[in-house]
Amino acid sequence: MTDTLAKLPQGSTLPDVVIEYRDVRKQYGEFVALAGVNLEVRRGQVVCLIGPSGSGKSTLLRCTNGLETMSSGEVYFDGMPLSKDPRKNRLIRQRMGMVFQNFELFPHKTALGNIMMGPMTVLGLSEEKARTRAEALLAKVGLSEKASNYPANLSGGQQQRVAIARALAMEPEVMLFDEPTSALDPETIGEVLNVMKRLADDGMTMVVVTHEMTFARRVADHVVVFANGQIVEQGRPEQIFDAPQTTRTRDFLSHLGWDG
Amino acid sequence: MELNLSAVLDSWRFLLSGLGVTLLLAAGVTVLSLLAGTLLTLGRLYGPRWLSAIIVFYIDSMRAIPVLVVLVWVYFALPIATGLNLPPFWSALLSLSAHLAAYVAEVVRAGIQSVRPGQVRAGMALGMTRAQILRKIVMPQAVVRMLPAFGSLLSLAVKDTAIATVIAVPELMRRADAVAGQTYAPVEVFTTVMILYFLVIFPLTRGIDMIYRRVSFLGRS
Repeated sequence: MTDTLAKLPQGSTLPDVVIEYRDVRKQYGEFVALAGVNLEVRRGQVVCLIGPSGSGKSTLLRCTNGLETMSSGEVYFDGMPLSKDPRKNRLIRQRMGMVFQNFELFPHKTALGNIMMGPMTVLGLSEEKARTRAEALLAKVGLSEKASNYPANLSGGQQQRVAIARALAMEPEVMLFDEPTSALDPETIGEVLNVMKRLADDGMTMVVVTHEMTFARRVADHVVVFANGQIVEQGRPEQIFDAPQTTRTRDFLSHLGWDG
Repeated sequence: MELNLSAVLDSWRFLLSGLGVTLLLAAGVTVLSLLAGTLLTLGRLYGPRWLSAIIVFYIDSMRAIPVLVVLVWVYFALPIATGLNLPPFWSALLSLSAHLAAYVAEVVRAGIQSVRPGQVRAGMALGMTRAQILRKIVMPQAVVRMLPAFGSLLSLAVKDTAIATVIAVPELMRRADAVAGQTYAPVEVFTTVMILYFLVIFPLTRGIDMIYRRVSFLGRS
């Protein structure tokens, strides 16, 4: 271990660091969305990004797989820097799954067809192999009986579970969740969080932007608090929720009605 | 007024074969204009800037010129200007398609641009290429969303063929004109023609509406 570390050039990522953000900045005209963010995500870790709306956490998540371009800074995935040209990040995206706030299922495909899309078009799997993989994943998210339903005939929670399965079908090393329960009816939030919890238990590396503090507290290994495009505090969930060190974190949590 | 139905009954074969030419011309115009309109839109949206500019100019000018003028120009002026001498049917096919393609292009563009940007992001997140996203995610949804507008374009494709009468294409209107002239029965003949056009177009547009109502959910993201 020390040998490997010694061989690594100065400032390079540690072997178990999957994602590294270095001084990531993003500006939309005058508005500073990210004001220099440094963060590391280790293999198998569940990192929850919390903070008020517009604090930059979703922007950082979209910079992770190059869906958003950075104004400056670097993101490393498995030691490789993301390209400034979004078209060149296709190979990196294939290794990261992403789940969106509004599901973004393909309306012209069934639940099964949605999950088969990635493996067939991107990985070149045969229809038969893609189908087997998709069926297994639908079973995993508890929706086997909905295989031939179109998204229009699924509830929000069911759509989001299919979307998770669709991302998993690429067998990603990392899963990115962009407020996965914010567009859901309260009664279907639980089923989605349960699927995410099981994924975390299986050892998946996850970066989750969320407003679900109970989930962050129970499932996260590491919680990062954002405000005004910066990280104001980070640490173990018990530390963040029970003994927050900064006023910003305390304000945010009390705003949510969190009383520890 | 007494109706002289024999004027229509005696020449029904002649009129029906005119209807055949009308349908053939309309089918040709539909296929050609769909093809050309789609290519125009793809060039406009994804091509280099100079190509895009040319296409926008083409679409704008076609929409600003009456289809009758385009038809007459292709039949009478094109041969003198270029030496390309097309028979009436082909002149009509070319000019009607060129004209309708501009409208098709606008419909296709609106359809493509109405697909939510999040759908493209979802495809990108899977690692798909731009071409794959267009072909497998955007276009299938866009086609569904375009259906109602295609219904009206299809009815235009059929109706506009009547203009070809001025360059003597032997379609329904031309033949009706001939029969009406010979029999002195314009009321009977032209009423029949009206009914024939209606009988062709009404089921077409209604049919597309019905299909749309059944499949619209496939384009709703």
